[in-house]
Amino acid sequence: MNMQLEGKVYPPYRLKPDRALVAKMLAGQGLAGTADAVPPTYFIFLRGETRGVDLFADLDIPREKALHAGQRYEWFAPVGWDDEVEVTVRIARLSAKESKAGKLWFADVEYEYRILPARTLAVREITRLVKRS
Amino acid sequence: MSALQPGDVIFDEARPGASRERLALFSAGTEDPNPIHVDDAFAQRAGFPAVLQQGPMTTAHFAALLAAKFGARLKSLDITFTAPVFVGDALRIVAKVESVGDTIALALTAAKPDGTQTARGAAVIAR
Repeated sequence: MNMQLEGKVYPPYRLKPDRALVAKMLAGQGLAGTADAVPPTYFIFLRGETRGVDLFADLDIPREKALHAGQRYEWFAPVGWDDEVEVTVRIARLSAKESKAGKLWFADVEYEYRILPARTLAVREITRLVKRS
Repeated sequence: MSALQPGDVIFDEARPGASRERLALFSAGTEDPNPIHVDDAFAQRAGFPAVLQQGPMTTAHFAALLAAKFGARLKSLDITFTAPVFVGDALRIVAKVESVGDTIALALTAAKPDGTQTARGAAVIAR
C-alpha cells in the first residue's frame, strides 16, 4: 500500500442524486417501488472512482487482494433530489498489521458531502478498505 | 421514543438471498466496478467460492430500516463487515437498543441462517 498517501486530499468533485441509480440500488436490495427521499447511503465512496478518486489504483490495492472492512456514516442535513453536492475526499489513516494469514494494510478514507452553493455539510462517510498480502 | 429501554428490539428482519441479477443491479446503482460481485471466475481467483454480495448492501439494509423508523433522527451508522456474504445467502438483520441517554444507542447485527455473523455495528438516534 502506498503509505505515503496518508493525509492526501483530492480535488473536490460534484454529484447530484440520480433517480435511475437509486432505482437500481433499491432493486438490488430487493425493495420494490421508488424512493420518496434520497436514500441515506446514496452518497458512497464508489462514485468517486470515475471522478478522479481511484483509491484502489492510488493506494495500490489490487482488486483480488481487496476487502471492504466497513463503513461509517454521519448525517447532518437532508439532501434533496435537486441538490448538487460537492465531495471532498481525504485519506485519513493508513496502517498495517501482521495476521495469521500474512500482512494486512488498512485505509480509512473520509468523504464529506456538502450541499452547494452554501457548502452545508450533509453527510460524512468513512470507508475502511483492506489489502491482503 | 422515551419509552425505549435497553434490550428492546427495533427490528428483526429477514432478507432473502440476493440473486446475481440483484448484485449486478446494486453494483450499477452504486457505480461499483468491482468484478468480484458479478464475475465468478474473478471471485475464485480472489479466493472465494462465488461472487460476493456488496458490504454496502448490508449497510443500505440497516440504513433503510432505520430511516423508515426514525427519519432524520438517524444521526450515525457504523458497520464492520465480519464475514463474506455470497450470492444467495439470506441474512437476518437485527437492531436492539443498547442504551438510552441524551441519544439512543443501537447495537446492530447481520447474520446468515446458520448463525454466522456477517456484520456488526452501532447506530445513534437523536431523542
